[in-house]
Amino acid sequence: MRLSLASGVATGAVAISLYPLFQGGAWFWTSLGAILVTTGIGVLASRFAVPLWLVPPAQLTAVWIFMTAVFTGEEAWAAIVPTRESVTELGLLLAAGFDDIPRLAAPVPPNSGIMALTCGGVGLIAILVDLLAARTHRAALAGLPLLALFTVPAAVITEPIGWPAFIIAALGYLGLLVADGRERVGHWGRTVLVRRTSSYVGQRSSDPGTLRLSGKRIGLTAVVLAILLPAVLPTLETNPLFGYGAGAGKGRGGNSISIPNPIVSLRGRLTLPGNSTVMTYTTDDGSPRYLRIYTLDVFDGRQWTMTGPNGRPEDKTSAGPLPPPPGQGTDVPVTPVTTKISVSDGVGNLKFLPLPYPPGRIDVAGDWRTDRDTLMVFSTGDTAEGLTYTVVSDEPRPTTETLGRAGPVPPRITERYLRLPKSLPRKVTDLALRVTDRNATPHERAIQLQDFFTRKGGFTYTLTTQGHDDQALTDFLIRNRAGYCEQFAAAMAVMARVVGIPARVAIGYTGGGRLGDGWQVRTHDAHAWPELYFEGTGWLRFEPTPAGGAGQGSATVPPYSRPRTAKAEDEERAGERTTDAGDTGRPDRPAVNRRDRMPDREYGDGPITAEEGLSLPVRAGVGVAIALLAALAPAALRLRTRARRYRICSRAARPAGAAAGADGPGEATAAVWAELDDVLHDHGVSRPPSESPRALAARLGERYGFDAEAAAAAARIAMAAERMLFARTPGDLGSPRPDLRRVRRALAAASPRGVRIRAALLPPSTFRRARALGARVLDGFDRLEGLLPGGSARRGA
Amino acid sequence: MALTHDVSPRLDDLVVTARRINQAIESVIEGKGDAVRLTLTVLLAEGHLLIEDVPGVGKTMLAKALARSIDCPVRRIQFTPDLLPSDITGVSAYNQQTREFEFKPGPVFASIVVGDEINRASPKTQSALLECMEERQVTVDGTTYLLDGPFMVIATQNPVEMEGTYPLPEAQRDRFTARIAMGYPAPSAELEMLDVHGAASPLDKLEPVATTAEVRALIGAVRAVYVSQPIKRYAVDLVTATRHSPELRLGASPRATLHLVRAARAHAALAGRDYVIPDDLQELCVPVLAHRLLPSAEAQGQRRSPEHVMADLVRRVPVPEARPR
Repeated sequence: MRLSLASGVATGAVAISLYPLFQGGAWFWTSLGAILVTTGIGVLASRFAVPLWLVPPAQLTAVWIFMTAVFTGEEAWAAIVPTRESVTELGLLLAAGFDDIPRLAAPVPPNSGIMALTCGGVGLIAILVDLLAARTHRAALAGLPLLALFTVPAAVITEPIGWPAFIIAALGYLGLLVADGRERVGHWGRTVLVRRTSSYVGQRSSDPGTLRLSGKRIGLTAVVLAILLPAVLPTLETNPLFGYGAGAGKGRGGNSISIPNPIVSLRGRLTLPGNSTVMTYTTDDGSPRYLRIYTLDVFDGRQWTMTGPNGRPEDKTSAGPLPPPPGQGTDVPVTPVTTKISVSDGVGNLKFLPLPYPPGRIDVAGDWRTDRDTLMVFSTGDTAEGLTYTVVSDEPRPTTETLGRAGPVPPRITERYLRLPKSLPRKVTDLALRVTDRNATPHERAIQLQDFFTRKGGFTYTLTTQGHDDQALTDFLIRNRAGYCEQFAAAMAVMARVVGIPARVAIGYTGGGRLGDGWQVRTHDAHAWPELYFEGTGWLRFEPTPAGGAGQGSATVPPYSRPRTAKAEDEERAGERTTDAGDTGRPDRPAVNRRDRMPDREYGDGPITAEEGLSLPVRAGVGVAIALLAALAPAALRLRTRARRYRICSRAARPAGAAAGADGPGEATAAVWAELDDVLHDHGVSRPPSESPRALAARLGERYGFDAEAAAAAARIAMAAERMLFARTPGDLGSPRPDLRRVRRALAAASPRGVRIRAALLPPSTFRRARALGARVLDGFDRLEGLLPGGSARRGA
Repeated sequence: MALTHDVSPRLDDLVVTARRINQAIESVIEGKGDAVRLTLTVLLAEGHLLIEDVPGVGKTMLAKALARSIDCPVRRIQFTPDLLPSDITGVSAYNQQTREFEFKPGPVFASIVVGDEINRASPKTQSALLECMEERQVTVDGTTYLLDGPFMVIATQNPVEMEGTYPLPEAQRDRFTARIAMGYPAPSAELEMLDVHGAASPLDKLEPVATTAEVRALIGAVRAVYVSQPIKRYAVDLVTATRHSPELRLGASPRATLHLVRAARAHAALAGRDYVIPDDLQELCVPVLAHRLLPSAEAQGQRRSPEHVMADLVRRVPVPEARPR
């Protein structure tokens, strides 16, 4: 019965660690319900000795009924008894959940499909744990399903698991083991003395309480070690297993009146707990489009910002077609696409229209004006909230040839879009030049840059990175290579400028997810991407951010930015021809297979390793040096202790000042005695607890063949210690240092070489002190145990 | 060994005098240095000694030699089943001349009383002696007579011939500070004994080497020996260990703790030290504590005597130690 309860508690504790996967806590309560149902059946089964094989089916049924009641209550008979309709409904829910899981990135919204799936999964784990721990009494094995549950968040999200969650999960499992151990050894066994007690204690009869205490001590120590050790160990990884404190956002405000800080609001939208719909749209070719809102053209060394847009009265959208897209020549084939966009009501004071680039003609109500250079469409009076508008855009469909033929960029563009701050770190410049081919065309270099971010550089996608300070760019590019779209877009734009391609950062939304005939864009689809300029084609978007579950969920890569083989080239040309002939847009390919764009270190021609300038041998050397230092630490500690004790001696030996007082010689003797004790321990001379100083000196002289001088030295130290401990007045210490040295030499001479080396390099006395410290920590645990209100009551039970 | 630091003049005298007495006794008893030393320790600790051994190993001789070498009143009582308490304490007899009752002191009114074969007397008589030992006074017919110090009872007991004896109960054994066994002498010592004792008893030639006053002064010096707090705790630890040992049915009493520390003082003084060290206690634990302990049935089954158990406990109780710093 106790085991059933412990199984339930353990499963619940481990289930808590799923929290980063979900928005809100509703999933936990339904999962808890499933666990409670399972545990309840388990307890009853134990109570009434139900046959073993009957329990899991009973629990499965109970979980089923529970899920029916929670998720499909209205279809069920009397809200709990499953009917045909409820079964179908539940099946549909689960199927929807399965569909949602690959589609949505964590944290997922708490829709009923996913909740049902989670509840069922946790219920299954609870049944398994109960089966293993309570039915077949294999509590240790029950750790496996628990571990499976625990690794779900670790496998799905790249962020570290919070250590409190780990502690809770580990304690849950420990509780299960303790309960099992209690059942198992409650009636037999001997006391395990964890350490020597200070006074003599006679043999006790077997006491499961003491046993339990030992178990708890071992378990708690293991948990503490598991948490502390990874933090203490030197690591080259930037992401330890556990995150110590979440990277609290400290976004800079500084919004001007009319221009929001797009970067800050982007991050805010990406990390918003709710994932609400921002807009829906339809395109006449049925394919999704990136919807740009802002264009950031100034990089100040810290972040990208926007030059205020300039909306002249003649550039009103109502005054006809928009100005032509900058740089777009007449020889580039274009595809006109009509997009009908409906912005949701809850988007707030949005003064810019989300539009596919480049917009050609906009049919929208209100006073909206176009910035000629960037083609951003904005309004000083109206907002886009609740607005529905139609835009016709002439998408350029460049080929490798047209892009390769791109002519020189006019100075108007280079002046504005190649400007970099003087403070840009050398490392960034070097990196950009290294990953691109000096002789390649701008287009090829752009592809190489994107390839660096998506494949070769080994970048990972994480939302916890916070970066607006001076170091952010170098941190992202050189050090940790983890970030979200903002960093990817900003870094690629900077590097493009370095290699001579005019670049800017666009902020807006990805194409979103499908909704009926159209597309739905939600807050989590907020995105940033770089736009690069090619004379003759104009501005083209690139996509350095990883897509899919481990990246920006709905990001897609434009076809012209893919590195291509000769075959692909041919296909592309063929496709281009048909496209031209049929006059239908060739849409960006949606992220069907998301994994293929995930940073994959084993894929491609080897990753470019970190650019720190530390080669592998140097790193290995540093590692070896650290290991050597760590290995020498005990010896160093030992020498330090010895030096401290000698200092105490020499202080006491000085002409007795008033400060030294009567305590001086006593303290010095204690130091000398402790030093002798450590010397003996280092040389493997054990000291029986009942041996007096005098007896020790005598034994040393006899057993280790001390010469007269060394024996006298040992006797002198022993006498001094004896007087310090037992006489009215401590005697004269004499010259402790030479005495100690004599004893040490005599001991070393009598010891085998191995012992001598160990005494010098890994003195056991240092470890003894560490052990004493550990014992004190355990004492602390004991005290805690005493403080716990249930502690004594449980012991009495 | 360089044992003598800061020894007060009185302690020096003590060492010299004690050595004199020691030599005197050893001239009579060959090769029993430990027993002699322990006897002196008990004398200086103001305790009483129980010598338990087979007949003929020199129990009485030791007692007599000690008595002889100190110039003090010595009385010897041979315990027999028909011995009466008044034979020990003395009687009030009616003096016809003065027409008054007059107290005739018994043999207990001496500095050293040798009680031979104490287990042969009836319990009533034994208890009369034991009362004198503990209280150091004699009460006859309502009058209390104090016994002058030094006062030491050396009782001998014969463990082999047990027929018609009244073994001392635990409560009464507890009154003796220490129990020793003489043991057979080494063959060389026995050979020498044949040479020396062949013609005449060496006891006759023994001259007193110390006076009562001197012994009293020695006892005073012993009382001044310093016992530090850790040593007291160690003594308590040792005694406590006997009470918790599963091999013992009866552990040592608080009186035993007292006796142990007193004997340790004397032991330290005899070594010329003015402070007690754990070694003193360790050496005295078996003679001072073992005779008060009763082995459990388990220990008896394993033929473990209290002496063995005590020696084991001494090995297990940790000595007081300075904390490493």
